[in-house]
Amino acid sequence: MELGTTRTTRTATASPGKKIAEKGLSLFGKLILLGYAVGTLYPLYWLFISAFKTNEDFFNNPYALPKEWKIDNIFRAWDLGDMGRGMLNSTFVTLTSVILTLVLGLLAGYVLSRFQFRFKKIVVSLFLAGLMIPIHSTLVPLFLMMKEVGLLDTYGALILPYTAFELPIAIFLSMGYMASIPKEIEEAAMIDGNGWWGIFGRIIFPLCTPIIATITILAFLRFWNDFSFALVFINTQALKTLPLSLALFSDGFGTDYALTMGAMAIAVIPTIVVYLILQDQIMKGMVAGSIKG
Amino acid sequence: MPTAVRSKGFIALALLPALILFVVFVIVPIIWSAYYGFFEWKGIGATKFIGLDNYREILQDHIFWRALKNNMILIVSAIVGQVPIALILAIVLLKNSFFSRFVRSAVFMPMVLSTVVVGLIWGYIYNPQFGLVNTILEAVGLESWSRAWLSDVKVNMFAITIPINWSNIGPYMIIFIAALQNISPEIDDAANIDGAQKGKKLFYVTLPMIWSTVVVTLVLCISGSLKAFDHVMVMTHGGPAQSTELLATYMYNNTFRVYRYGYGSAVSTIIMIISALLIGINYILTRKKAD
Amino acid sequence: MKKMQKMSLMLLIMMFIISACGNSGDNKKAEGEVTKKDDKVKLTVWHNFAGDDLRAKAVRSLIEKFQQDNPNIELDAQAIPPDGYRQRLSTVAAGNELPDLFFVYAGSHSAELYKAGLLQPITELADQNPDWKAKFLPGAFDPYQFEEGQIYTAPMGMSATSFLYYNTAIFEQYKVKVPTTWDELMTAIKVFNDNKMTPIALGNKAPWVAQSTIIGAIGERVTGTEWFKNASAQKGAKFTDPEFIDTLGYFKQLVDNNAFQEGANSIDNTQAEQYFIQGKAAMMISGAWSLTNLAASASEEQMKDIDVTVLPSIPGGKGDANSITGGAGAGLALSKRTEGATKEAALKLIYAVSGPDAQKAIAESNSMVMYDTDIDQSKVSSLYYKAFNLVKKTNITPVYDAYLSAESGEVINNGLQEIMTGGTLESVAQKLQDAQARAVTP
Repeated sequence: MELGTTRTTRTATASPGKKIAEKGLSLFGKLILLGYAVGTLYPLYWLFISAFKTNEDFFNNPYALPKEWKIDNIFRAWDLGDMGRGMLNSTFVTLTSVILTLVLGLLAGYVLSRFQFRFKKIVVSLFLAGLMIPIHSTLVPLFLMMKEVGLLDTYGALILPYTAFELPIAIFLSMGYMASIPKEIEEAAMIDGNGWWGIFGRIIFPLCTPIIATITILAFLRFWNDFSFALVFINTQALKTLPLSLALFSDGFGTDYALTMGAMAIAVIPTIVVYLILQDQIMKGMVAGSIKG
Repeated sequence: MPTAVRSKGFIALALLPALILFVVFVIVPIIWSAYYGFFEWKGIGATKFIGLDNYREILQDHIFWRALKNNMILIVSAIVGQVPIALILAIVLLKNSFFSRFVRSAVFMPMVLSTVVVGLIWGYIYNPQFGLVNTILEAVGLESWSRAWLSDVKVNMFAITIPINWSNIGPYMIIFIAALQNISPEIDDAANIDGAQKGKKLFYVTLPMIWSTVVVTLVLCISGSLKAFDHVMVMTHGGPAQSTELLATYMYNNTFRVYRYGYGSAVSTIIMIISALLIGINYILTRKKAD
Repeated sequence: MKKMQKMSLMLLIMMFIISACGNSGDNKKAEGEVTKKDDKVKLTVWHNFAGDDLRAKAVRSLIEKFQQDNPNIELDAQAIPPDGYRQRLSTVAAGNELPDLFFVYAGSHSAELYKAGLLQPITELADQNPDWKAKFLPGAFDPYQFEEGQIYTAPMGMSATSFLYYNTAIFEQYKVKVPTTWDELMTAIKVFNDNKMTPIALGNKAPWVAQSTIIGAIGERVTGTEWFKNASAQKGAKFTDPEFIDTLGYFKQLVDNNAFQEGANSIDNTQAEQYFIQGKAAMMISGAWSLTNLAASASEEQMKDIDVTVLPSIPGGKGDANSITGGAGAGLALSKRTEGATKEAALKLIYAVSGPDAQKAIAESNSMVMYDTDIDQSKVSSLYYKAFNLVKKTNITPVYDAYLSAESGEVINNGLQEIMTGGTLESVAQKLQDAQARAVTP
């Protein structure tokens, strides 16, 4: 919160340039933006009203408010999908993977953006390759590998591949971001007697709040919503994550939309909360951070 | 020099955990999968080494080329659609006012929604009988333009790019917002004192400052578009008659629906090769621009 | 060089750690799996009766009952989301990690598992219960007899895929006769179109729908079962034969006469059912699954006008017009690796979910079975009851994808969409012929 206020003062005082840009946003521009925002919010609204409809109502009046608010959908989806446990598992798996992704990704991103060493190009290309693989083609090899080392059917079977697959994005985003942090900052810190760990921990890491928040949001979404890995690598009911609950109410021949929408409405709430919390962090630029203070 | 020694240790310790985890869980499966590409294998049962036959067959299959073309449509639409719109939104919404925060949150919301919901909503919008698009066209007297947007093979691939772009603008926007935080106000001020016009400022001041991030987003666009899967699976299943087939759905169908695991693996290897080529080209182009 | 050494050392350590945590997990499992030590028999089963529909609930309660009746069996029953079931099973099969019992579909799905040597027959169960076996309808075991004299599962249901559902109110309103011949059907289509009413609702986004519900039924009427089985086996008949071109031609006639609503290829099955039940289409050609879906999502008011019959006959056809495409439904298959007491328990469970009582329970959950059983009319919907009796009176003829290879199935699915978007009959027939020929000659 404290930082938040610092940030606000910055926009208010330190950056007249942006103020001009914002003033330039005419009423017309604002209206367009507002229209766009309504268009992007509508599906969310639609999901929530649909979650309270009967199947009949869902099809007969797709846009209207529910004729009768079926709160029951939510409870039934929650019970039938065992969503309480799914929520706990998803939370644990997602948080652990996000933290791992951040720590490993930022460290690696820092090294790759700041240091020159022999195998750097190879390392960067390797990580780049990780962006390109469609995950479905890795299912069988990963399954066989994790079977060999006995990792299947543990939280690790999700946490480790999640982290590994998200690392390239984390690394490239942090590399791109760190490239614009002036080197002078580190040189000054070096003179102050900080080692690299100190510089990273005390100077660079705090400066990276916006990109940390960005990576967290992207990673959170990916892990929270993953269906394929969760479907294949987890066997025990007790370890199942949320996306498996969402798919329960549809077979190849038909879908129970009342329950599906109910379950989705439940599952989407944490992601919205996380986004809303983190979006303010994205705005905490380095100027608001420690550079001068 | 003591720092040099210390930095070597730092490099190793900071990089290795990420690298090892990544190599074990991503690179090894990639290589493994590429290896299957040389076999005729159903995913179960016996394997038979067939060398490059899978690759030969892929290159002769016109569905593969159609999928590739569709992926190219996605890439182009992402580069000319998602990236500029996201950048403009990021610049316009940089303020911390209530209005900006509201619009910023709204723009991101399609991303948090399940693809199933996105698919349903856009299915309604494009519905030929009572969909929004056709209703509007009829209302403004362009009835002859109305059609079954997702079934008409002449237009459906383009129709699909809109929801995909619409969903993906959010993440690129926040990536740009994060990057824009790093432009120091002094430079901004200087540009303003020079009386740079807004458009010029964008090109000569803002863009170069966040160029490394722009390059990253382009890479994400290319690789993301080549892997695109969910939206098409939900909206058209790659049809009708495989008209909206993408490389990833082509790969998936071969792997899990018709039990041609080896063939599917070869397709994903080709996806990676194409991705690498395009990213290489992107790298060359963007580097020249930056100089 | 030093760096390389360090790196490989780290790699080794990492692998060691991973395998260490892994092994502990493995041991845990191994302890549980040893059946000789503790007296409890451990049995794992995967199915996809995961949802909230009546059939899923009925099967789940059968499994629960089995659990209660057999306290000495420790049952691990997993309901897997149907949308991901095949993907999960394929991956796990690649790692040879299948559970003792698992749900398999008739057709290429179970055939591929058999060919890979992952299944074992359950013939002994049928031999122990001859009365039970005898009461299955003709053809019930056809898709599961991979070898002479051996059966690999007992179907828990029947797939009946080509009912003609129609809205009596709309037929009355426009004074149209419910079609019993192809010409009558074409007349009906014309009348409905003239009145801006969609004749037939179709949701063919997942492209198996038109194939499963329509083409097999037309095919039967035009070519007869014999020809189709020969063509599937590529013995003395080919999909490029004029019979099959004719079959596709009838389908094209429907397309050309705007029998289906615009955009049929971009809405799904459920949406088409809703389009029909809301009175926006006069007919729908669909399988027994629509009975279940409609029972769950339509009002009494909507349902009272709906009736069900067989598709009309085709003049000069070689096949049986009083027929519905269908066949044995899915069943639980037994893994090759399952032995001893676990196998005993597994067979017991198969009987529990497909025995006489189970068949009755499933039939009374508004779901067709491949078993001669009587149902309590008061327990089922009236439309289902009609369909149930209709099936008893008609012949069951093959659904195409139950006999074609997986690849050919995809080819004909996509081929029908191609015809709907302007493709030629000959090229579709040729592609199907090529794919099936590839599948048959190894």
